[in-house]
Amino acid sequence: MRRELVIATAVVALGALSGVAAYEHAASRQDEAGWREIAWPFPRDGWPAGKAFHCGTAACGGDIEVYVRPKIGFCNCDRGVADDDEVDRVADLDLMSEHFAPLAPGHVVQLADMPGRIRAYDLKMSDGSRHAAFGIAVSRRCDLLIAVAHGKGAPPELRRAVLDFLGSSKMTGWITAAMDGR
Amino acid sequence: MSGRVKLAAWISIYCLAYPGIAHAQQQVVGAPPEAQNMKLVGTSDLQARSAYQPTIHHQGDRWIAYIGHHGGTDDIPSPVNPQTGKAEPNGTSIVDVTDPSQPKYLRHIPGQEGTYEAGGAQMVRICDGKALPKGDRNAVYMLRTFGGEAHEIWNVADPANPVLITRIAGLKDTHKNFWECDTGIAFLVSGAPDWRTRRMTQVYDLSDPAHPQKIRDFGLPGQEPGSTGAVPTELHGPISTGPSGNRAYFGYGTNKGGFLQIVDRDKLLNGPKEPTPDNLRSPEISRMPMSAFNGAHTTFPMPGMPIAEFAHDKDGNSRDIVMIVDEAILNECNEPRQMVWFADVTVENRPMMISSYTVPEASGSFCERGGRFGSHSSSESMAPIYYKKMAFIAFFNAGVRALDIRDPYHPREVGYFIPAITAVTDKRCVKIEGKDRCKVAIQTNNVETDERGYIYIVDRANTGLHILELTGPSRAVAGLP
Repeated sequence: MRRELVIATAVVALGALSGVAAYEHAASRQDEAGWREIAWPFPRDGWPAGKAFHCGTAACGGDIEVYVRPKIGFCNCDRGVADDDEVDRVADLDLMSEHFAPLAPGHVVQLADMPGRIRAYDLKMSDGSRHAAFGIAVSRRCDLLIAVAHGKGAPPELRRAVLDFLGSSKMTGWITAAMDGR
Repeated sequence: MSGRVKLAAWISIYCLAYPGIAHAQQQVVGAPPEAQNMKLVGTSDLQARSAYQPTIHHQGDRWIAYIGHHGGTDDIPSPVNPQTGKAEPNGTSIVDVTDPSQPKYLRHIPGQEGTYEAGGAQMVRICDGKALPKGDRNAVYMLRTFGGEAHEIWNVADPANPVLITRIAGLKDTHKNFWECDTGIAFLVSGAPDWRTRRMTQVYDLSDPAHPQKIRDFGLPGQEPGSTGAVPTELHGPISTGPSGNRAYFGYGTNKGGFLQIVDRDKLLNGPKEPTPDNLRSPEISRMPMSAFNGAHTTFPMPGMPIAEFAHDKDGNSRDIVMIVDEAILNECNEPRQMVWFADVTVENRPMMISSYTVPEASGSFCERGGRFGSHSSSESMAPIYYKKMAFIAFFNAGVRALDIRDPYHPREVGYFIPAITAVTDKRCVKIEGKDRCKVAIQTNNVETDERGYIYIVDRANTGLHILELTGPSRAVAGLP
């Protein structure tokens, strides 16, 4: 009886570990559009790390990195992401550089059925190089979902590639789960 | 069964039973309050309105409590005022607490329409006209916020019949103001429309409340109009030590990335006022960053505290202390612990955190009870009865906690009171698998004391006002009989 119990437990544990390994492997694979999950590159701050992705193919318009994470409880519960100042304030651009300037007024955007805004920036990196960047903030009640992307390509291509990627069914599923605390 | 199997069975039974044990910690209507060295004196239901700042004022031969409210709830956006029979957006409650065992509800002044943080009239401060340099000597002035859109000043000399005096409007947010009654200088936490942050400081001369004079806008470089790049954490609230202390202590952040900013009050009031980065830096003496895990809701100064342990030291036997209180914002411990910190700011350009305090979670399974657990705010009265001796901390579902702070290097809890919930206590929810799971728990939001020694706590979850007093050994800490 006891031996059977031990064997059954071991089988379940090994199965679970195999499942996790398979999931990790699948998640790190490059998808059809060239996106690949990478390690979160920033030191710990006030919010838990999110997910980071890289795309280096022509389909993305060149080298792009995207960082996305929820900021639970960080939004104005009633107004949501009402203006561009809110995007400047919350969108994690400062993780890459303290020095960024908006290129133009932002636009309304929707991610995983959450409304918010997207805004283009000129990002001055510590080595003096300049990158195009986009900050995205969408909200549900008091919770924010932040995405920030930067690349060396032209802003229109960067914007299209980032929104296509974040709007994919895989990312929509992850965003919804993350906002639900799953 | 072998011994090991028996052990496994007992562990299984314990694990299955544990949620039930935690569940037993949840409050139920009809159960008594939980208390140690504090007892209930009186209550007011505050018309079941979510409450923020209580300010207690000795007015003639009466004691009046002015209590600011958050907006209403989704279920009841505008509770009915039984005195008028009308549904009124949450605003300011005025309660006669001369007899603290029988509080008399005098008046509700409606606030801005809106729910939760969007509406109401959260903040309230009181100054006598005879204390203000240019005030009407017969007036008593109430400075309150009006939702996020305005600051208002009322004459509450007759607290049952307040009269609106003036309004400072056109804002995108407001919050935790401070008003010096002896000078009239007010540090208004505002959202000026052109600033890049929701909350910064507008310094006003309100020595003549009927004619507010703006002195300047103040904030952190990066928040001012026209700036670019990272936007520093928004202001929560300042506390000034007035002309004699010549310092204002600003708390930034709520539950994240907070810091204490020490400001030269004279330079702030009289320095160059254009909001350029240099002019904003000019009055700053120093900043003390906190962990990214914590924010600064209240920064309460206690200059010149004698430290018994250092009594025989030839230097440094008296210390300038600032008590910093974080604000918990997420229900059921879904964030790092928000708590209380004590900073030694004697050497102003090298402030240092010296101690901390939190309620032990296991003492009440507070993460399981529902609602927020963690600190929110402290008493701010500088009346001699408790100043530099005791602090009272609102700790949401852990009620109010009484601390002995005579040695701020080693603060010590000496009492607590967790009010009972009632039928009107509002629920608090968290998302579980995408669905709301709600619990009902007390949410002690703010606390204040009066010169008689009564402690006033108010509930964010609509349970009203509880007036308390110290009992047992905790009275000795304050030197009370």
